[in-house]
Amino acid sequence: MAVKEKVDNKEKIVSRDFKEYIREPNPDVGLDETIKRLTPEKIEKTIKAVIGRLSARIKAVIETCIHCGLCSEACHWYLSNDKDPTYAPVAKMRMTIWEMLKRDGKVDAEFIKQCARIVFTECNLCHRCSMYCPYGLDITFIIGMVRRICFLLGVVPQRQMDQDQAHIATLNQVWMSQNDWLDTMQWQEEEIGAEFKDLRIPIDKEGAEVMWLPLGAEPKTGTYHIERTAKIMLVAGVNWTVPGKDVWDSSNMPMFIRDLVTMQRIVRGLFENAARLRIKKLVLTE
Amino acid sequence: MYDFIKDPTLYNLVKGPLVWIAFIVFIGGSIYRLYSFINLAKKDKTIMPFISLKYTLRSLFHWLIPFNSVNWRRRPVITITTFLFHIGLVFTPIFLLSHNILWRESWGITWWTIPEDLADIITLVVIFCCVFFFLRRILAPEVKFVTFSSDYLVLFISFAPFMTGFLAYHQLLLSHKTMVILHILFGEIMLIAIPFTRLAHMFYFFLTRSFMGSQFALWHSRDW
Repeated sequence: MAVKEKVDNKEKIVSRDFKEYIREPNPDVGLDETIKRLTPEKIEKTIKAVIGRLSARIKAVIETCIHCGLCSEACHWYLSNDKDPTYAPVAKMRMTIWEMLKRDGKVDAEFIKQCARIVFTECNLCHRCSMYCPYGLDITFIIGMVRRICFLLGVVPQRQMDQDQAHIATLNQVWMSQNDWLDTMQWQEEEIGAEFKDLRIPIDKEGAEVMWLPLGAEPKTGTYHIERTAKIMLVAGVNWTVPGKDVWDSSNMPMFIRDLVTMQRIVRGLFENAARLRIKKLVLTE
Repeated sequence: MYDFIKDPTLYNLVKGPLVWIAFIVFIGGSIYRLYSFINLAKKDKTIMPFISLKYTLRSLFHWLIPFNSVNWRRRPVITITTFLFHIGLVFTPIFLLSHNILWRESWGITWWTIPEDLADIITLVVIFCCVFFFLRRILAPEVKFVTFSSDYLVLFISFAPFMTGFLAYHQLLLSHKTMVILHILFGEIMLIAIPFTRLAHMFYFFLTRSFMGSQFALWHSRDW
């Protein structure tokens, strides 16, 4: 993204490596500042550590893909950008992992920044391309792996890194302490008490049928969701509970930037909560 | 083989020892590639536990029949070309009369053959499909962006035996014997190339479909 050019009177950036890749500038501290810390050795080491000796899942994609472009119409990024070929799923692999493999990991910081822009801001990991690929290749897995490389190098859009750090520190994405969480639940129970006589929000109820796990934003900014969930559970007659200990936030943001350690801490925490209370089903907000 | 020892001409070379080499490399190479790939897959904890035969067959059923999956229906032209191309590519060489005669001469075995006129038409169809794929690589922007010289090479490897076979049958362009030598040579190159280029999708197709079919079944979603 080194060359700046005026296209249609609007400033656009033409990629140095791929002249077809033209985008509007999108300044982000998480990308622009972090690439200054990178050295070629660091990049090469990280790429080789992640890709390593090609595993079966990467090999299947690299050695089977016949470059037919049939995956492109699956991608909503491609469709909503006037069928710009650089938004096609296969093009995203071509501009990131194929190039890394071709150059044997010897790429520069500018290239990593471009990769980060492609994998973080132009793909939602929705798996639709695998539905359209005649071979059913797991393109999403490859994009996720490039995200992992970018994450290990610290080149992640600031907003996403911020959410990840919230998860690292508090195991939820809204910096909520355990006190705040319990307090919110009890306060909500009180609030609805005026409307429903028997309504309870059971915390840490052992042997309940269902454990409800909200998204971080619900106790923080969308408390009416808690109220509604409680009403639904009451009317449906479900024997339910919410966890009284961390982890309760089911929005696993670290998964999206492939911070595997934090991702595992969250999933493990959710299941340990369920096992501790002998829960039969987990119900997650979406 | 004996012909080549008695009379070491180029024709006897491509007709004798090189055929042996081509078939040994093709069969041996394919078995080796499949074996090492499945072994590699076993090392990955996220593949084998999810593979299910039922969903593999379901996935293959939807993708091996034309217009039986969403993307095949959305792209009718490509569906028709790709199915004609692959059926012609795999079955014409096996059931061609002249190839059958060669089998009978050397091993004394024969099987069904297709009429010569039909074989001629199928060959032309395969050639036109190759031209279509070539034009698509040049003209369709989403394909052009991901096209490398290896893609043209792979296309040429599958195109050349059919083109030379057609020219040899009609005795066009070069002398019949030269054309036949070229035809056999390109056929052998194709056989050798299958396990070691992306033509390996011939058998990887079944493995990748098996994986994705099973994965999507796990997510209670369709993969077609």
